[in-house]
Amino acid sequence: MDALYHLDTTSPLLQFAEDKLQIIALSFMALVYIFKVKWILSFKAGKERQAPTGNPRTTAQKGAVYSLFNIFMPWSMPSTRQHPFFYLQFGIFHVAVGTSIAMSIIIPYFPQLIANEAVIFALQVLFGLGCVIGLGRFIRRTVSPYIRAISTPDDYFSVALLTVWLAFAFMAAPNNRAETEFWLLGYFFLTAFFLFYVPFSKISHYIFYPFTRWYLGKTLGRRGVYPLPLNAGNEPLSRLFANTKPLEGK
Amino acid sequence: MGMQRSYKCERVIERLHKKVNRQVVASLEACVHCGMCTDQCHYVLANPGDVTYMPSYKADKLRKFFKAHIDWTGRTFPWWVSARSLYTDQELEELKDTVFGKCTNCRRCSINCPMGVDMATFNRMARGLLVSVGVMPEGVAVVAKDQWEIGNQMGVLREDYIDTLTWMEEELQAEHNDPAIKIPIDKMDCDVVYSINPREVKYDPRTIADAALIFHVAGENWTMASEGWDMTNFGLFNGDDDLGGAVARRCYEATENLRGKKLVISECGHGYRSTRCEGQNWGQKDIPFAMESSVITMLRYIKEGRIKVDKTTNTEPVTYHDSCNNARSCGMTEEPRELLNLVCTDFREMHPNRAENFCCTGGGGAMSMSEYTPRRLKSAAVKAAQLKATGAKCVVTSCHNCVDGLTDLIRHYELGMKVTQLVNLVANALIIPERRHAAAVGGLEGYKILLADDEPDTLAYFETVLADHGAQVILATDGDEALDLARKEKPDLITLDLSMPGRDGGEVFEILRKDPVLSQTKVCIITGKPELRRLIYDRPVPPPEGYLTKPVSEDDLMLNVRKVLEHTHHES
Ligand code: SF4
Ligand code: SF4
Repeated sequence: MDALYHLDTTSPLLQFAEDKLQIIALSFMALVYIFKVKWILSFKAGKERQAPTGNPRTTAQKGAVYSLFNIFMPWSMPSTRQHPFFYLQFGIFHVAVGTSIAMSIIIPYFPQLIANEAVIFALQVLFGLGCVIGLGRFIRRTVSPYIRAISTPDDYFSVALLTVWLAFAFMAAPNNRAETEFWLLGYFFLTAFFLFYVPFSKISHYIFYPFTRWYLGKTLGRRGVYPLPLNAGNEPLSRLFANTKPLEGK
Repeated sequence: MGMQRSYKCERVIERLHKKVNRQVVASLEACVHCGMCTDQCHYVLANPGDVTYMPSYKADKLRKFFKAHIDWTGRTFPWWVSARSLYTDQELEELKDTVFGKCTNCRRCSINCPMGVDMATFNRMARGLLVSVGVMPEGVAVVAKDQWEIGNQMGVLREDYIDTLTWMEEELQAEHNDPAIKIPIDKMDCDVVYSINPREVKYDPRTIADAALIFHVAGENWTMASEGWDMTNFGLFNGDDDLGGAVARRCYEATENLRGKKLVISECGHGYRSTRCEGQNWGQKDIPFAMESSVITMLRYIKEGRIKVDKTTNTEPVTYHDSCNNARSCGMTEEPRELLNLVCTDFREMHPNRAENFCCTGGGGAMSMSEYTPRRLKSAAVKAAQLKATGAKCVVTSCHNCVDGLTDLIRHYELGMKVTQLVNLVANALIIPERRHAAAVGGLEGYKILLADDEPDTLAYFETVLADHGAQVILATDGDEALDLARKEKPDLITLDLSMPGRDGGEVFEILRKDPVLSQTKVCIITGKPELRRLIYDRPVPPPEGYLTKPVSEDDLMLNVRKVLEHTHHES
């Protein structure tokens, strides 16, 4: 597909960055993903022989589907229920990243979709929030002894990369070639780098997400655990956001 | 030059390649180190600030060497993803300390991870890797050895097991003044084969007696097996699928050999999970019978009106602790509550509960690892707080491990609560019908019964009892005579001794079953040599309707005769 270039205002470098470079990067990422999926499929899936247990209204399939969409039901897990602000950040951050990827296709090929000022404003709010959340996540990773203890260089780099990339997305959203070419260039080069880097980093978690969730859900569905009933924790409202406080030992 | 790797580490890595399956690989790859599982683990909550208890930190101990050997990035740029192989036995010891001593495989973090990382499953796998090279807590080694060698995880010998069952049977009979209450052993073709935890034999035989009483009142046709009766499975805890498969197969084969229709599993979380769910996977075995938890059986009896209960006998405030294996791995959360509400007047929910409940801290085999006891009791602070908040005087749980774990923590935190199981509460609430005396059985008028036995005393005794109740009784003293009289008199019921002169009881039975005219005649085997029962059950004909072992009391005889004849009556 030919990009709808604003030939008068677009430099050859930006033309390359937003078109050819993206296609190369995307193709590379797709190729590596195919290998990754093939790789994981090369491991045998465990087989469940037993007759279903638990609530007869659930099945392996229902459990698997529930599990896949679990993340959209923050009430379904204590970890999200007890930390609603964290969950909100998680949601905004992921929506911002997804939108930023979409924008890398919209700008060169469908710029009219984001020509409206209100849309640009909405995008900038989203990217801005995403960037602030990313920064917060980076700081949390550095400051919290818990998170620091499990962080790898890849964890730090990935969140830093996404944060900077969202900052560039924020600046590039107006798609004003004359005035913001620097930001557009930065945004597209970072997008390409991101696409090259993702398959080798933890950012590729979404490739594994369907596998982990599907298999966990299938097992727990067959066992009548998933879908969890709404009253799974059966916690009165007053306890909803509180954790059980341990008793003092002797 | 690369670091020298110990022999054990070599073996562990070799085995890792064989053990990982798609689910485990996905779980090991998918963690994003978000930390959301952190405060969902009881160890973390009870040890604030100690990062080594974090689920993801513990998981990374395995993940690091998985990445170093199996993941591409980890193999190419290990430092970038903190991948590190295992080199020394000391590192294996450290791994042991984590996977056995800092995680009970309770699966609470698994259901709290947005990515669906199933930490408990690969923690079990890591245990299995270590066990394969002999690195494990001593208690784990001892229990696994007992289960391999003696067939049950507490090393209970066959004679002790049988003695306990006999003792409980006698206790029940004396307590209820009813010799008809039995704990049958190796009875063929029963509707229920009841399997138990060896802990019941060793420390808590009352649970066996309570279950037997419930079966008796429900009129269940049940038995226990003399072999393969242990439904617990240490393979779940030590991660050894071979042990898990062998133990589960033993239990399944016992039921198959007895031609049982259903295997009922007494209240034990890990036993239920292992036997009902995982055992078939480990043992690569499909089974021809159904399986159910005794909790479901007891609830069914009440719903079907087979037993009646009076909840006012259990008035103490009780709460319920969901065993992790029952709730998070088998979905058994509602049945125990339904049952509790039927047998208790004051049931108080614990929070959080069901699949979100916290571990009792005795799970995952923790009770057998004494070196970690202080750690276990410290982490039990979470459970203690939960228990205390209920204000209950008694905690009910459907798991023997939980009974031990809870008892220990209740003592440690001085909570002054009792721990009990549903079977005890149901037995306590059970309304025991008036003993069904022979006199109450009702007349046998109109029934013709042929008695075949070579002992004149036995014949005379049976004849008196049956004739007193109105039956028309015909006597045969050997097999051939029995056949002749059967053809001539066409009785409603034939009682057959197994060892008789001429044709033995087994032969007579087969001829009767194959005779087009007599094949439907009801047969009750009455023998003083139960070891000969295979003479009957191995024959290629439908089994007898009744089976009694001599000496036979009047009550037993009448109950069985009545049961068999009632069956005839219903059928006709
Ligand atoms: S296991 Fe799940 S919840 Fe825990 S850190 Fe990893 S991704 Fe997050
Ligand atoms: S399985 Fe249970 S004990 Fe183990 S880390 Fe997870 S929450 Fe903690």
